[in-house]
Amino acid sequence: MVFVLAGGVAAQRLVGMFAGAALLARVPSLARLASLIPAAVVAAVIVQLTVASGKSIVVDERLAGMAVAGVLVWRRAPFVVVVLAAAATTALLRAM
Amino acid sequence: MTDEGPIDPPARPGWTVLGGLALTFFALGVTVNVLMLERIGSAPRTVVAALVVNAATSELAFVAVRDAGGSLVAALVAGWIVASRFGLLAVSLGARLRVGTAHRAAAGLQSFDPNVTLAVQQPDPSSVVRVFWTVTLAMHAGWWSGTFVGVFLGNVIGDSQRLGLDVVFPAALLAIIGNLLRSRPGALAAAVGGGLCLVMLPWAPAGLPIVVSLVGAFVALAVTPTPAVPGVAR
Repeated sequence: MVFVLAGGVAAQRLVGMFAGAALLARVPSLARLASLIPAAVVAAVIVQLTVASGKSIVVDERLAGMAVAGVLVWRRAPFVVVVLAAAATTALLRAM
Repeated sequence: MTDEGPIDPPARPGWTVLGGLALTFFALGVTVNVLMLERIGSAPRTVVAALVVNAATSELAFVAVRDAGGSLVAALVAGWIVASRFGLLAVSLGARLRVGTAHRAAAGLQSFDPNVTLAVQQPDPSSVVRVFWTVTLAMHAGWWSGTFVGVFLGNVIGDSQRLGLDVVFPAALLAIIGNLLRSRPGALAAAVGGGLCLVMLPWAPAGLPIVVSLVGAFVALAVTPTPAVPGVAR
């Protein structure tokens, strides 16, 4: 069964790489999607990882950690500082 | 923020970014595979599953549906839907790659959030390739170290939530898309995509909110003006 799961995952990646990219190449007005897709999709992943708990929206210490991360990203802090500060903020609030 | 493009040209990820990503994926590798080992019950099969599926979120979605009493088909569909974002990311990477078919296929099979997002921000095709594979190596170094530690040594990290490790991955992703967010189109795509996901989370099947977030990219494309210089993203 793991190979069936893997096959579907791999197929989507390959379809995206070949068919999807070919579509973007044929329609020049869609070329800007190359950088816009990651912005939209990754933002959604961030939202899900920050506020979702199963099917519920839960506002907890994760949001505070991500708020700190957001400020640091805005201020162009180094990558490691962003990640460690987010984790530390969340951990600190949970310990309180 | 500007309509003329990102305020700064995207920089190639240095050692601190690569090291940070490796540590992020090490933590993920440990926590995910400790969980998978509990479900699968066999260390070799857990490692094979991680190797073959190559998508931790798909494995987790599959297991979550089965744990909830769902059918095999439902679990497979959940795993595939959750992984569909890698197909979307592969679209954006494929549009920037200038390589042969075999190389393109290999890159497609390794499409994840960090390596694709960092790669597509590079200014030329050779940098796209170099950054993509460098970041991929860093991710795998962390992930596989974490996988073997998690499977054969157990949860050496301890309570990941107590340490705030559950925000490490989203914080890393935020840092990675930071440059994209400094342009109006990128910020709009992120706002709409993230907003749609938030609205759909409570009621949509697992993975679907992420797929629908793609609408954000099309909204940004439609609403923001085309750049004056071809090939220059705004």
